[in-house]
Amino acid sequence: MSNLTLGMVSFGVLLAMVFLRIPIGLSMFLCGAVGSWIITGSTAPILGQLKQIAYSTFSDYNLSVVPLFLLMGQFAAYGGISGKLFRTAENWLGHRRGGLAMATIGACAGFGAICGSSMATAATMAQVALPELRRNGYSGALSTGTLAAGGTLGILIPPSIILVIYATLTEQNIAKLFIAAFVPGILAAIGYMIAIRIFVWKNPDEAGELKPRMPYRDRFAALLRVWDILLLFLAVLGGIYGGYFTPTEASAVGAFGAALIAWARRGMTVHQLRDAIFYTASASAMMFFIVLGAMLYNSFLALTQLPQEAAAYVVELGLNPWVVMSVILVLYLILGGPMDSLSMILLTIPIFFPIIMGLDYGLPPEELAIWFGILVLISVEVGLISPPVGMNLFVIQSMAKDVPTRAVFRGVIPFIISDVIRTAILVAFPAITLTLLRWVY
Amino acid sequence: FAQEVTLRLHQFLPAQANVPKFVLDPWADKVEKDSGGRIKIERYPAMQLGGKPPELMDQAIDGTVDIVWTLPGSTPGRFPSTEVFELPFMMTNAEATSRAYWDIFNSKMKDTEFKDVHIIAAWVHGPGLIHSREPIAKLDDMKGKKLRAPTRIVNALLGQLGATPVGMPVPAITENLSKGVIDGAVIPWEVTTALKVAELVQNHTEFGGDHALYTTTFVLAMNKARYDALPDDLKKVIDDNSGADVSALFGKTQAGTDAAGRKVAVDAGNNIIELSATDVEPWKTAAQPVMDNWVVEMQGKGVDGQALLDEARTLIDKYTQK
Amino acid sequence: MILPRIVEWLARALAIVGGIVLGVIIVLTVVSVTGRALIWAGFGPILGDFEIVEALTGFAVFCFLPYCQLMRGHAILDVFTNMMGPTVVRAIDAFAEIVAAIVLALIAWRLTHGFVDKFRNGETSFIVQFPMWWAYAACLLPAYVSVATAILTSARGVKAALSGRDLLPEHHGME
Ligand code: NA
Ligand code: NA
Repeated sequence: MSNLTLGMVSFGVLLAMVFLRIPIGLSMFLCGAVGSWIITGSTAPILGQLKQIAYSTFSDYNLSVVPLFLLMGQFAAYGGISGKLFRTAENWLGHRRGGLAMATIGACAGFGAICGSSMATAATMAQVALPELRRNGYSGALSTGTLAAGGTLGILIPPSIILVIYATLTEQNIAKLFIAAFVPGILAAIGYMIAIRIFVWKNPDEAGELKPRMPYRDRFAALLRVWDILLLFLAVLGGIYGGYFTPTEASAVGAFGAALIAWARRGMTVHQLRDAIFYTASASAMMFFIVLGAMLYNSFLALTQLPQEAAAYVVELGLNPWVVMSVILVLYLILGGPMDSLSMILLTIPIFFPIIMGLDYGLPPEELAIWFGILVLISVEVGLISPPVGMNLFVIQSMAKDVPTRAVFRGVIPFIISDVIRTAILVAFPAITLTLLRWVY
Repeated sequence: FAQEVTLRLHQFLPAQANVPKFVLDPWADKVEKDSGGRIKIERYPAMQLGGKPPELMDQAIDGTVDIVWTLPGSTPGRFPSTEVFELPFMMTNAEATSRAYWDIFNSKMKDTEFKDVHIIAAWVHGPGLIHSREPIAKLDDMKGKKLRAPTRIVNALLGQLGATPVGMPVPAITENLSKGVIDGAVIPWEVTTALKVAELVQNHTEFGGDHALYTTTFVLAMNKARYDALPDDLKKVIDDNSGADVSALFGKTQAGTDAAGRKVAVDAGNNIIELSATDVEPWKTAAQPVMDNWVVEMQGKGVDGQALLDEARTLIDKYTQK
Repeated sequence: MILPRIVEWLARALAIVGGIVLGVIIVLTVVSVTGRALIWAGFGPILGDFEIVEALTGFAVFCFLPYCQLMRGHAILDVFTNMMGPTVVRAIDAFAEIVAAIVLALIAWRLTHGFVDKFRNGETSFIVQFPMWWAYAACLLPAYVSVATAILTSARGVKAALSGRDLLPEHHGME
């Protein structure tokens, strides 16, 4: 069996394992380790690598934001931050059809502006909004779909863990990527609200009761009541763009601020603190284990030369740059179905980035790199909510055990359609992504 | 000419960076050609085979890969003798200093610190200098500056000169320079192009006189068992592309890419501060404790630091005058 | 049996230790960032904050592994669960737990070798220059506790498969 074939076979084996409910990180770990063993004909390389790779992956500086953002999400939930955000959004949107679902999206966007993790945003907002949505008669499908999609605003609206990883892989400026992500992130929130609108128009019985319409005076009063959250938002973003700390350090500052607000609001009990830590422990270990598995699987794939051959093949075809871009993004949509998003970006950026940078889109190299980064971010985010494997789907489903998997999948489809349309618009008009960046710098 | 041996070369920079493009690729091409196609060298840039840059040396030792390009200084404490060339105001030019480095490697480090790995070449980069947001024209300007340093020794040097060393990985330099999290970085010209340093800071301080502020040591290392197992004629191909001349060439080639980096800064209209030999004197005096501390530290590791220092100086001078 | 209870207790206790370490990281970063912003007033960042955060994060994540294993927090795909029927699912789960135990044992065993390497070769961190073996040594205990936890969950998985009763917690132990 040639190495290329081995690479492709491993992909099939990996998918089979994942479908047989073997944990995803474990499946990648095994495929990577066994694959390397086969390809090098010896256990020495993989055993040597394992001496350091677990520690070095778990101690990665950029990834240290993951547990910090997760913990911050917990502080925010227990400290009432996410609840207050949700109430504020409800005051503005609750009277519309599907308004509570739209309010959830709005609150997710607000929370996403201080938190960089999709999973943390989904889990935190679900704790508050899921019971509210269900109590007000929203269907399981719409409730879970809304929260899974809303959670992605955690990475779509800066700061964003995925952008940190993209910047690390491609040696781009993280702060510039954050600025560029801003407008597409807002567009995502609006797109999701439109998706909800259309969903409830088609399925009127799935959207629950309407809330009374609030006068504007009350709506602005509600905004004022979230002053401490707005302050934290300003401190985190101002700190990053003002040069006081790095985006990585911002996660620690954000967690610190969230803890302060939680304490100032009503205090956290020791019991709640313990639960917050347990949640963070389980979710962090899960993510880091997937990254570790992806590291091993990636180095095996590199050994097979499959990524290199694929890149060479694309260049050889000599296609129009826009066709190449479309093919890559469609590939992300397809891969995002069965694959985990973090491993997907770790796997593909080393292949696709050089291909894209070698093509002409009428943009200077740095802008091209940033624009492509945002497009990748959005595609990856679709992976988080596209069945059957999607981190946010898992998180939401684990919190809404009464909703069958099939309903969760059905509920998320309108949001995926909204994602696809938005991606197409952002591909066609790079200026949407780049204008704010050009204006700031 | 059936292909007999495939060697995997792993390193941390992207394929289009200066060292992979002008040093490693030409070397690998030549080995392939000299072997009549019997050796194939697969190149894996940008840590494609996994791990972080400090793990490269162990990857070569353990046979995870066959050949690595790495900095002995990325694993502080393991190759203390190489630091003699990284001490302040030691290096003159990269070619001569690389020759001296290879000589001492061959006589003093090969069977001690590097006994677990087969070294193909040992070289240094061109003169290192300071790039900063505010001009640094005299020693006093260093006070309170947050600077990113490449090695343990330069960290110690910065502390000695009154600056605050800030630790961060290389890719983070660009971003943190642009935001002012750090005030500057200490790197050779060659690296400034990839990191866009000349766009982010307007001042560059070059150190005149015979000796540069600092340099960093590199090695091209091969798994020992893999080398030993090669048939004699292929071993000869590797040997013919190893050693003093190859190391000197690598040093010269890498330093040769400095000019392009400097030109970017000049074209951008940046302020290039060229300190004269006299200007540099107070810096040398201030840096002296770094040498002294290093010699004391080496005693604890069973290395005669002073003798090593003297020998390195003599050899560097010898090869510089040629 | 007292042994399973000790293992469970250790897994939970280590998760709490990891959480406290996260708290240390947060405080350390805030102090360092503040100090750096106040250099003009004679303050300064914590020397080597970057590498200390790295080592602490590595330790914390190792501390989180046993708890994740105990609560079955690893991400799985259970779309086909309904189709397969509970007997098959319990068998697969038991198998997955055993494989996880083997992989975690592999990680712990190799980490031990990594520790020995670092202990022998004297590698230190970059700025503070603490010996790297400290960081590796700290991770050994949680790494082996994660193996013990995985053996425990494997035993429970096998028991569940044989008895036809659900003995493992549901997947995604997020509370
Ligand atoms: Na965010
Ligand atoms: Na997906």
